[in-house]
Amino acid sequence: MGVLFLIAIRNLVQARRRTALLSGAIGLVTALLVLLLAMSQGIADNLVRSATTLSAGHVVVAGFYKPSPSQAIPLVTDAAKVRKVLEESTPDLDFIIARGRGWGKFVGPGGTVQSGFGGVTIADEPRFVSTLQLAMQSEYKDGGKEEILGDASRIAEPGAAILFVNQAKRLEVDVGEAITFVTETNDGRTNTIDLTVVAIARDMGMLSSWAVLGNMDSLRTVYKLNDDTTGAFWVYLKDIDRADEVMNSLRVSLAQAGFQLMDHQGDPFFFKFEEVGGEDWTGQKLDLTIWRDEVSFLVRILDVFNVVSVFVASVLLVIVAIGIINTMFNIVRERTREIGTMRAIGIHRRRVLMLFLIEATMLGLFATTVGALVGAAGALGIDAAEIPAPIEAMKMILLADTIPMAVDPVTLALVVVVLTAVTALAALWPAALAARLRPIVALGHTA
Amino acid sequence: MSGIVELTKVTKDYPLGKLSVRAIDAVSISIGKGEFTAIAGPSGSGKTTILNMIGCMDVPTTGTVSIDGTITNNLYDHALTELRLNRIGFIFQSFNLINVLDAYQNIEFPLLLQGTLSGKARKARVNEMLEKVGLTKQSGQRPNELSGGQRQRVAIARALVTNPAIVLADEPTANLDSTTGTAIVELMRDLNKNEGITFIFSTHDPKVMDRATRLVMVADGRVVE
Ligand SMILES: Nc1ncnc2c1ncn2[C@@H]1O[C@H](COP(=O)(O)OP(=O)(O)OP(=O)(O)O)[C@@H](O)[C@H]1O
Ligand SMILES: [Mg+2]
Repeated sequence: MGVLFLIAIRNLVQARRRTALLSGAIGLVTALLVLLLAMSQGIADNLVRSATTLSAGHVVVAGFYKPSPSQAIPLVTDAAKVRKVLEESTPDLDFIIARGRGWGKFVGPGGTVQSGFGGVTIADEPRFVSTLQLAMQSEYKDGGKEEILGDASRIAEPGAAILFVNQAKRLEVDVGEAITFVTETNDGRTNTIDLTVVAIARDMGMLSSWAVLGNMDSLRTVYKLNDDTTGAFWVYLKDIDRADEVMNSLRVSLAQAGFQLMDHQGDPFFFKFEEVGGEDWTGQKLDLTIWRDEVSFLVRILDVFNVVSVFVASVLLVIVAIGIINTMFNIVRERTREIGTMRAIGIHRRRVLMLFLIEATMLGLFATTVGALVGAAGALGIDAAEIPAPIEAMKMILLADTIPMAVDPVTLALVVVVLTAVTALAALWPAALAARLRPIVALGHTA
Repeated sequence: MSGIVELTKVTKDYPLGKLSVRAIDAVSISIGKGEFTAIAGPSGSGKTTILNMIGCMDVPTTGTVSIDGTITNNLYDHALTELRLNRIGFIFQSFNLINVLDAYQNIEFPLLLQGTLSGKARKARVNEMLEKVGLTKQSGQRPNELSGGQRQRVAIARALVTNPAIVLADEPTANLDSTTGTAIVELMRDLNKNEGITFIFSTHDPKVMDRATRLVMVADGRVVE
């Protein structure tokens, strides 16, 4: 029934001001929702990027070694054998790196920082240098030069350390200067090692306050570890979305190879010391997680952000829906005699219903499309403008110094479809009323 | 039962608060094919109610209404709507065109609802109707760009385009000046004579009544022939 579309469009065009106002309201909510989703996506992208650079591979094969029931050391012994299983039986494997896990105090001229110490074996990590963005001296030092000092590939040198900007500021160190790592070793004694800062990288959200990167050999030295150990294997896949599936399949492979496995628990390894320390087994157990588990506390922040966004958008949507319902009732009242005429001529109720639903749907489609495009343009603009986060605490939530925005076409399309459906749904009641009008009553109506 | 329209002892009560109003009372009318019937009577006498019964816009409280052989009493909305679409044409006092559609599209509308004619046949039929009512030149104009008389011509074309068994017109000339009104009645009469279309219309106007081949007088809800 093309003529129903024609009638609907022409009525929308005829009631120009009303159409403009209503689509303005719908479009505004759409644009806002798109912005919120873009921000959520931006944060999520940052989260994935910083998590899989600083805290985890797509899948993490780590574990605890317990020399006695009360001790829990985050270590993978028999590392070569584990790696062999991973290399042979990981579906969709891209590459595997090994990261040492240490924790302690870094002491610099200006202060101290508690942080993890990631042990890098550069030969393992062809992409290591490119994933870090180095900072210019001015970013961490007052009166510093607009120039990048240092070189991430020097992580290969003995005693090398790479800091992030926030740490460099607190320690008041520059590239080439010395810091000391102080930690408690596995036998309960304090040990120290001197390190040289070889590069200072830009922060990647809150995770970078807990990550100092160094040479794996430094970790081995300070913790007196043998060569066949590592902290964790970070397994990178071609498709990060398969992480869950790959983790489960690796659990099977590793169990078949004779390794003891811990039950899966969706938390980062440093949340697990207490529980593992309280269990009464000794020896080695492997613990498999995915990247999301290792940053579960951040995922939760993102979830809260998403819930709040959806809530805000829903409230606005309800308000707009009420506006649509009200407007559609007015439209039906104004056109009652026309409805009566059409019914007399022989249009069926179902088509009257359709007529008004088509009208609302077209209005919704137009308004949400324009709104989504405006929202997307705004999001891309904000992202490109690199607007700094106004409050320090926001940087933690945003996982970035500037407001991140990422626009995903599928999300855009989904927003348009869903909000158009909401518009149509809001019109259902008035449209049903129009369809139910008795023809003689409608004809007798004087608008 | 030989007429195209048979009303047998038709009574219609309308609820009015707790009471009810008897709009027509035991009305029996038989109208044959090809007649040009005027229903006349004072205001409130029941003319519109009778036309609504004939037009399948409503069903009687008691009595039977038979249209072209179909008894409407027990029909529901869907069947009544089909009857209106296929057997009945409507002309209204205030034209009642769809104001966002032009003359051509208004006339085409019932054919689109029927959905039986091909695009080509439909176009030919609409153009034929435009020609019959003398509006070929105005086919692209919207109702607000047409005079009252022209609008009623569009309405007549729209009522006739589906070749209905009966065309009903409730005071078709009441909103027109007398010259235009006369012209409209003449047009209806021509279509009645030349094409044998059955017209039933209500009117107050004696000049219009004069043109009728048959006059049904109503007063107080009863036929007083
Ligand atoms: N829907 C209704 N509800 C209540 N009473 C009604 C209704 N429709 C008609 N009536 C009553 O029925 C009677 C007949 O009305 P009807 O409209 O058929 O008269 P009419 O002859 O067409 O009058 P007019 O010349 O003013 O158009 C009137 O008394 C009217 O008040
Ligand atoms: Mg009347």
